[in-house]
Amino acid sequence: MVETGIPKLDEYLNGGIPKGKSLIYFNHPGVEGDVFGMQTLYHNLVKGGTCVYVTSSSNPETLKDQFKEFGWNIRQFGERLLMVDGYSSLIGALSTENYVVSDPENIDSMTEMIDRAMKDVPKGSIIMVGSLSTIMDLCGEEKTLDAVKMWNKMAMVKEHVFIYNFTAWPYDESTLKSIKNEIFNCVISIGGIAERVIFGQYFGVLKADWSKVEVHSMLFRILRPGGIRIYIPKILVTGPFNAGKSSFIHSLSTRAVSVDRLGTTIALDHGHIDYKGFSADIFGTPGQERFDPIIRMISGEAMGIFLVVDSTLPKDFIRAKQMLEITKGYGLPYIIVANKQDLPGALSVDEIRNHFNIPEDVPIVSTVATSKKGIYEAFDILVEKITGGN
Amino acid sequence: MERYSLGIEKLDKNINGIRGGSNIMIIGPPMSGKETIVNNIVYKGLKMGDAAVIVTTREPGENVVDWFNYNNLEIPLDHLGIVDCVTKTLGVPTSDTATIRRASSPVDLTGIGVKISQFLEEFWMKKNIRKTWLCINSLSTILMYSNIQTVFRFLHVFTGRVKASGAIGIYVVEDGMHDTQAVATLKQLFDGVIEIRQENDIYLIRTTGLNQKPSPWYEYTIEGAELVLKDGE
Ligand SMILES: Nc1nc2c(ncn2[C@@H]2O[C@H](COP(=O)(O)OP(=O)(O)OP(=O)(O)O)[C@@H](O)[C@H]2O)c(=O)[nH]1
Ligand SMILES: [Mg+2]
Repeated sequence: MVETGIPKLDEYLNGGIPKGKSLIYFNHPGVEGDVFGMQTLYHNLVKGGTCVYVTSSSNPETLKDQFKEFGWNIRQFGERLLMVDGYSSLIGALSTENYVVSDPENIDSMTEMIDRAMKDVPKGSIIMVGSLSTIMDLCGEEKTLDAVKMWNKMAMVKEHVFIYNFTAWPYDESTLKSIKNEIFNCVISIGGIAERVIFGQYFGVLKADWSKVEVHSMLFRILRPGGIRIYIPKILVTGPFNAGKSSFIHSLSTRAVSVDRLGTTIALDHGHIDYKGFSADIFGTPGQERFDPIIRMISGEAMGIFLVVDSTLPKDFIRAKQMLEITKGYGLPYIIVANKQDLPGALSVDEIRNHFNIPEDVPIVSTVATSKKGIYEAFDILVEKITGGN
Repeated sequence: MERYSLGIEKLDKNINGIRGGSNIMIIGPPMSGKETIVNNIVYKGLKMGDAAVIVTTREPGENVVDWFNYNNLEIPLDHLGIVDCVTKTLGVPTSDTATIRRASSPVDLTGIGVKISQFLEEFWMKKNIRKTWLCINSLSTILMYSNIQTVFRFLHVFTGRVKASGAIGIYVVEDGMHDTQAVATLKQLFDGVIEIRQENDIYLIRTTGLNQKPSPWYEYTIEGAELVLKDGE
């Protein structure tokens, strides 16, 4: 298996891409889909793999620099990264690469170099086409796709994994259809949420012929440095007065603000966390009952809920359930954060489950928000529920 | 939808404002000052509080900013986004700035598209600016590296984005560089044209498609950084 190195994606693909298979990142124009290919390449170079990169819209050195934006130095891999230069000849520049496509507007010339590079690398390498759309633009849709079918077959024999970046310009309907449905073993669609402008980006698995794919769609963001992060725009933190919600958010967040007066939250808390492959915005509600309308207001469109309780105060649990109700939380994934576990008289997770009458499948995590104990565990568990892994 | 003006008084009077979402081609012979005209339009827009995205295919992004500075035209840099398709082809190591983002080359339509989209998002969502100009200077360079169908597909997407966001698109085309068929193909994507014509030593400008009737031809001169129109015919 070759991993994509994209958070969650390998899980959705049952571990990654089997040897000999092809995958295409099918990008909608204007969405930063190239980074997917780049991240996959870097991930595999780091893991010791050998890769061939076919460039057609930028010169090889420029391309290498581009990785640096994300904190990825790909020059360190030396001979394990081969470049097929399908760009320099196009603009009449000299190339220092070993595999130079002499006529990028002729698909046979491209095939010749790809074939040669494929034979020079060990079995199970990654062959990445930086921009299939550019090749199609230069060599024609039909000719290119015929060649691609052949490349995929050649790769199968050598057990290479073929990965393509593709921008879905408004090509012929039939071309797009065969790309989506026929030519590749796996299609990852990368799109934008657009209204007046594109303001959010997501990816999803359209097809993977080696695993039964349930359709997942994940929002993502791109960090520089860092690369692709699953983006969760709204996680709600709610719970009774003084339970430790604000403390929980501040401990978890890379940056956070609270609108408090005299130590109690009167408007809301907001935090942002970048952790592992995830990037999330967290919103906390006030605990006092007089603010319940605010809870209703800010709970719209939440993707999951932390219900924070003070483990020493079972009398507040009814209130906690009531707040969960307000947030319509029963439809959303939620977990219970059993906070203040450091205090004497704190109830255990099991005791809370009984008191609360919590179904077995709702996780309860014990935490000490003020000293960060248990909070990342809580985050991991809720995110796993939100993103629905296997 | 928002209405825009070109900041060229005589033409503006004639066309009576341009509907947001319009895409306009500016076509004229080499050396006729198209760039100055486009920069003037952008400058007037910026002065009104609009934002602008300039795709530069002929000179590095820094030069575009320098032009305004050199001519003492003060511009709010936080309203300006430049997509630089040149610097990276020169092999000089550079990085992006808040104002200038660089595509790999004029062939890299994917990268150009991403950077345009990022600026549009930034102006609309983060800076709450509702009026934006998108200027591609020039389509002719892009057409040197990619064939007409490819450029058509690219423009199909981005004229659509301009429409959706109520911006104005301005696309510079060198007259005489492309066959008439190519120009006619591209014209299908545009709502109007700013035409420039040379007669002996005289340059003339008019708009078509932006009002029921074409505007009259106006003789103009470029004085320094300024576009000066004489009375119409
Ligand atoms: N010992 C202990 N104290 C905690 C813990 N978490 C929070 N606290 C304290 O509990 C008090 C309330 O914490 P906050 O984070 O403000 O609670 P809150 O839920 O935001 O409160 P409201 O916004 O007023 O509803 C503060 O004094 C915290 O220092 C914990 O795990 N252990
Ligand atoms: Mg609080």
